[in-house]
Amino acid sequence: MSNVEVLSKLEEIVGKDFASNSPEELFIYSQDPGVSHPRPVDFVAMPETVEEVQQIVRIANEEKIPIIPMGGGMTLSGLVIPVKGGIVLDMKRMDKIIEINETSRYALVEAGVTSGQIISYLNEKYPDLRAPFPDAPPSITLAGNALIHGSGYLSQKYGDHGAMINGLEVVLANGEVLKVGSCAMSKYWFTRGPIPDLVGLFTSAFGTMGIVTKLSIKLFPKPKFRDIVIGLIKDLDTIPELVLNLTKTDIPEDLMVALAEKPDFMKGYAILMLYINGDTQEELASKTKILKKMYRKNKATFMKMPPKYYDIFLEQPQFAAKAADFRKGGGFEYVGSFMPLEKIPEAIEIARDISLKYGIVPTQVSRIIGRGHAVMFAASYSFNRADPEDMEKARKALHETNEMVLNLGGLPWKAELGGQKLMIEKMDPNYKMLLKTIRNIVDPNGIMNPGNWEV
Amino acid sequence: MTSEAELDWKDIIHRCFRCGYCKFTYDYNDFNCPSYKKHRFETYSTGGRLWLIYGVINGDLQWSENLANVLYSCPTCGNCMENCRFEKFNFLLVDMIEAARAEATKSGFCPEKQKVLVERATNPEMWNPYGEPNSDNEALKKEYDLPDEAEWVYFIGCTSNYRQQNLRDATLRLLKKTGIDFTLVDEHCCTSPMLRTGQVDCASDFMNYNIARIKNAGASKVVTSCAGCYRTLLKDYEKFGADLGFEVYHTGELIKKLLNDGKIKIASNYDKVITYHDPCHLGRHMDMYEVPREVIKQIPGIKFVEMERIRENAWCCGAGGGVKIGYPDWALEISKERLEEAKETGAAVLTSMCPFCKTNLSDANETFNMGFEVLDLIEILDQLDIEILE
Repeated sequence: MSNVEVLSKLEEIVGKDFASNSPEELFIYSQDPGVSHPRPVDFVAMPETVEEVQQIVRIANEEKIPIIPMGGGMTLSGLVIPVKGGIVLDMKRMDKIIEINETSRYALVEAGVTSGQIISYLNEKYPDLRAPFPDAPPSITLAGNALIHGSGYLSQKYGDHGAMINGLEVVLANGEVLKVGSCAMSKYWFTRGPIPDLVGLFTSAFGTMGIVTKLSIKLFPKPKFRDIVIGLIKDLDTIPELVLNLTKTDIPEDLMVALAEKPDFMKGYAILMLYINGDTQEELASKTKILKKMYRKNKATFMKMPPKYYDIFLEQPQFAAKAADFRKGGGFEYVGSFMPLEKIPEAIEIARDISLKYGIVPTQVSRIIGRGHAVMFAASYSFNRADPEDMEKARKALHETNEMVLNLGGLPWKAELGGQKLMIEKMDPNYKMLLKTIRNIVDPNGIMNPGNWEV
Repeated sequence: MTSEAELDWKDIIHRCFRCGYCKFTYDYNDFNCPSYKKHRFETYSTGGRLWLIYGVINGDLQWSENLANVLYSCPTCGNCMENCRFEKFNFLLVDMIEAARAEATKSGFCPEKQKVLVERATNPEMWNPYGEPNSDNEALKKEYDLPDEAEWVYFIGCTSNYRQQNLRDATLRLLKKTGIDFTLVDEHCCTSPMLRTGQVDCASDFMNYNIARIKNAGASKVVTSCAGCYRTLLKDYEKFGADLGFEVYHTGELIKKLLNDGKIKIASNYDKVITYHDPCHLGRHMDMYEVPREVIKQIPGIKFVEMERIRENAWCCGAGGGVKIGYPDWALEISKERLEEAKETGAAVLTSMCPFCKTNLSDANETFNMGFEVLDLIEILDQLDIEILE
């Protein structure tokens, strides 16, 4: 089928306005805000229904055209930039919030529902409920975030956001629709077990196993008040024990350790950002009192939040994208990684050295996941998009950080192609073999975001 | 250190991260960028446009009809400026889009429909983008018994003079009622349609002409009933190096001042339920949100209800930035969404303070049979008794 014929088919399916191979769309979808080099795209299509996704996938499968599903496009690590050309399927027209189950506390949404949409929707209609979302712009999708094992709000208490998925609807490479989780046999999308857990097949798979069209994700009760209790840490080696002791209390809703050497007064300190909640101010005060005592015992110093920063720290989501202007250049990318808690002090030091080596102000955050069972450690490297040398420095810093993470026993998270390659080199051969076998069965023509997880 | 406002836009444009805040309302409740909401490709968000323009600057993309179309499918409403979180340059977003339109025009890619605006405005028989024979306003001066020289000039604006004469006449009557010393001049297009569509070559000539006419009338103050003229006179003339030498007021400001100074009083009732649409050129572009509301609240008997998206968060009427002439059906669709929002308030009257908003909202009101009375606030005031107190 010629390109003209493919475009015509796509237009037939999604409508003329929502399929394109014009240089402008191809240019925009060939790159993301991270530091990956642009890679060519052949078509962009925006389906509105699962049936449209099925039709597109069937054509792609028949014609062996790669197909790359895209949510918010904000992984920064180039996961939705095609490696071998093909169709980018921008899912954001699939934007219906289908069901909020208040009793079993889950949201069933289409793949294009943004975090901004669910935040606003719950605030207005279900003010006692809240959804898990990351400190990323409101344009990211709930499905995209959960499917890459995202983390963020509520992760300290309840785990990473991938763990909060109850079920998925997926269009497979042959165009068939699969449901995984309880929805495979129940009208309730309330749990992913107790059956063999096929949800896992689609998480951190980066679209290589199928195209997710619906997601059920857990919702959580929303206490009336929320606050932050800041601590300063001078000795980084105390972090693991401090975190362990804090998580024993069951008080922290979210817990992060951040390192930012700007402004200058922050140099030499890590900042502990501990979020608490409660239904009364008395409850918050009592929790704060316990935490202050615990900070003292663990060599951390309580710091009263300056009022001008209060709203900034309590905003949800945080404006983390501000890192993009640190070098007045419109770009940053970070190695996110899942690290063992005990390795955090070492990771902070090494990532700091990498930053300084490349002339980038060290900026890091360690987000505690599931009471310390893992830590999402992120070392962020800002760059100037207008300066190719600066971008190259960021690429090198990212690569060295990936190596460091793996050497310390951690796993790079939502890794770009280079990071995936390093991970595959370390991967157990039988893991690779099974992954390859499953992929060959699920996607025999290799059309699903090929180039990623090339085991 | 050079501030961002002083830097060339080409040295800033790459700083857009394309994070997408610009697409939303302030509470993320909906997409508030009319262009992104319609097209949904990332290309049609402000971030997408800035990246495309940067692609052209870098030589990665070439100007084309389609690229120009992406660039011009934007009513320059400024929602992106309100919601972009990068405070060091978010106030320049619309300027950058307009500057890129000027580059497109230089490269021969200004769309034909938008070109017509300037072809008409530069026609010596017209001097306005509507293609109407130029009115030197002498007949109006005679009709309203206006002097050749006065403290104030009422700068009518082309939309009021050639499409919304009812607003023009209401303004003239109201100004007469207030007793201020004003006159009219043989004005030419204020240049708003040129600047918004990147056709800037002859803008300075028009600006200098209008300034000279106003000064010749001996005026130290200008009042206009047009949000577009107001923005252009106050913001753009200075950017082009023009020296105004007079104060500029919107009619809303003048009426508010007269009311607050106790010089006039509204002496009859307006017993209707009304809602107010914030024009982008008055609101997001000039930060004027409170003035019309303060005037409305001083009208006896009125029941004022607000729409969901107001002030900085207002949904655009869809007419601006060359969209009305370039994409007339889409412009109406955008207005339809505003009318539907207004319907939810229970208002019978939809008011605004911009003749171009009024035109587009009225067109949509008629096309989609929405049943509103669409009136400029000045037209409402014109229906009421105004008592002169001093």
